[in-house]
Amino acid sequence: MSTFSKIVSKPIDILTRAKAQEAEYFTHVDGVGSVPRDIYKHVKSNPIGDLPRYSVHIVIQHLLVFITFIVLAVSGLPIYFSDLFWASYFVSLFGGIDVARFIHRIAAFIMMFAAAYHMITIVAGTIQKIYHHEFDHKRTQLPRLKDLFDLIHDIKYFLGRAPYRPKMEKFMYKQKAHYLAIIWGNFVLIAAGSVLLFPDVMAQLFPETLGKILPSAGADTDSYSAFFQDLARLMHADEAVMALILLAFWHWINVHLVPGRFPIQWAFLNGKITREHQIEEHFLEYLNNLREIPAEREYMKNLLKELGIDGSKALSTADQDASFSQPVDAAPGEKT
Amino acid sequence: MKRSVLKIIKRPIIPALLAAGIFMLLLTGSPAGAADEYNCLMCHKHRYSGRIDENGKRWNYNVDEFLYNHSVHRSIECRDCHSYIKRIPHDPVTQNVNCGNQCHIKPPFAQEKFSHEKLIGIYNQSAHGIEPQDSEELKNAKPFCKYCHLNPMYTQISEKTVPFKESLQRCFNCHPQRGVVQAYKHMAHRLRKKTSRSSQEIVQLCSTCHADVALMKKLNVSERALTAVESYNRSIHGKLVRLGSQKAANCISCHASNALHDIYKKDDPRATIYKDNIAKTCSQCHEKTNSAFINIAVHPSAEREGDPIIYLVSIFFRVALYGAVFSMVGLMLFETFGRWRDGIKLILINGTSWRGQSKPRSKKEK
Repeated sequence: MSTFSKIVSKPIDILTRAKAQEAEYFTHVDGVGSVPRDIYKHVKSNPIGDLPRYSVHIVIQHLLVFITFIVLAVSGLPIYFSDLFWASYFVSLFGGIDVARFIHRIAAFIMMFAAAYHMITIVAGTIQKIYHHEFDHKRTQLPRLKDLFDLIHDIKYFLGRAPYRPKMEKFMYKQKAHYLAIIWGNFVLIAAGSVLLFPDVMAQLFPETLGKILPSAGADTDSYSAFFQDLARLMHADEAVMALILLAFWHWINVHLVPGRFPIQWAFLNGKITREHQIEEHFLEYLNNLREIPAEREYMKNLLKELGIDGSKALSTADQDASFSQPVDAAPGEKT
Repeated sequence: MKRSVLKIIKRPIIPALLAAGIFMLLLTGSPAGAADEYNCLMCHKHRYSGRIDENGKRWNYNVDEFLYNHSVHRSIECRDCHSYIKRIPHDPVTQNVNCGNQCHIKPPFAQEKFSHEKLIGIYNQSAHGIEPQDSEELKNAKPFCKYCHLNPMYTQISEKTVPFKESLQRCFNCHPQRGVVQAYKHMAHRLRKKTSRSSQEIVQLCSTCHADVALMKKLNVSERALTAVESYNRSIHGKLVRLGSQKAANCISCHASNALHDIYKKDDPRATIYKDNIAKTCSQCHEKTNSAFINIAVHPSAEREGDPIIYLVSIFFRVALYGAVFSMVGLMLFETFGRWRDGIKLILINGTSWRGQSKPRSKKEK
């Protein structure tokens, strides 16, 4: 083994590891060749982004939510923490608490608009895809059991127990978790916020509705208004603080500051993802890209040729040994 | 045209005269004289007149004429309130001022002289009025007129927010200007708001006694009244008032009607917070008040443990918060560590961030 590693260059190192470890190391793609799982370590990526990921609608929705969330946090937090010293400074940014409350409501309505816009985009896009027979539930945010296995696989990889990251779809496990959390958060904040904004209307609406659902509640329904108001006070504030802390300490760092994404990931502005990122974390989506984008197919074909990986046939574990001899010989020749 | 302008500039006497004229106009305008028939100010105008009494308490006898002229009581003679003074120079004062006195002012369209007596009658029936069966302690603790109404001698009332000159133009058609303006100045700040004080000042004023838990305990108030200030400050009304809102409800928005002095206990049918009146009180701001709405806690209790479901929900949110933050941030750090071991570098340069050598994964591989 040691003598072998002296002469091999980088690309062959990939193959030797693959030989030892993985049956699923190569993925055969028609017209491209066999794509090794860790090809992301050898591709060239444009930091601005190479491959399409989000449509312009999603980018607009994200920007709307992003801006309104900050406005909501800045105008809402000082009310919850009104006894802390910074609260009055935040309020004075808006020119008084009465203005701040008004702006909070406007921002909330814009955020609700963004949520509705998103729903329309998702539903209409899905219908369109179904109509064109292009819909694939694996490429959506729908949670699957595979996500759990991906998480376990990924933890193994981080521990050094698995050689490569799992092959994941367009949305990986943490993105799906975050997406579900946003749906939940929006639901809680909008519901609780409406109870706080229209206490008089909601006080009547909630017990009446509840009285219809639970006829046994009967005459007691009056006390529900106090209960729901207390619940809304609790949920609106706690959910908002949770969302803010998660966004500040996890989302921003996870998206912009971790290695390979630093100093900024442009996806939130141009909807594009770098090739390296796509292959590493969304390998199965990259295979879709290869199928759908001819230029990408061309690029990968040339790259594989350059690295000396034969793409003429699919490689299985059994015949990897046999096929290794050729690229091992070819590689030093290419180098010289 | 040009030549005439030049002419004026050449002869500096005209602009100089004009400037002098404007300057004189600014200086003229007679100051409003204080109502001081008996010339009390002869002695009381002196700045440092006062004494230290046997108990070491300092008394200030100075009356600032300027401030008094701009106070609410500017047209009231000294002796209208200090009626116990029968001769001048007067004896040492032993009596307090009685706001129920009749003064020599007749309000417009009224036959009797003005007095605060009616208001004091209302006040004496309210929760703050002194009752014969009250203990000595309670009698001392109950506020009197001047406790809340600061001596207006030193309080300037700012009428800047009321553009009375514009709004009174129509009144001047019939009424003489002086009387109307003074009446309006006296009234208008009450027409616009319940009080001339801001909401924050009202809360502060009420809190001086009601936030004093030791005092309130001594006076045997109910459990809810004991925490009234604390729970108010926790409510959305309290928070907004603390941050400077002029719209949110302060103490007297709910606890007094517009007559303002009729603060009754909760079980008194005259009280604004009596169970039959509360809907009307809420509807001052919350237009769609209904029977369900009035059950909402205006003074929310401190403990979320009060209701088991709410307590469970608060626990759920706490677990969700810490669980989500620590698991997500932990996973992120773990992920970064794992990728760093596999050779990733921080920044994407020359199209790749995988420029490093991956660390050996296990001993077997070595």
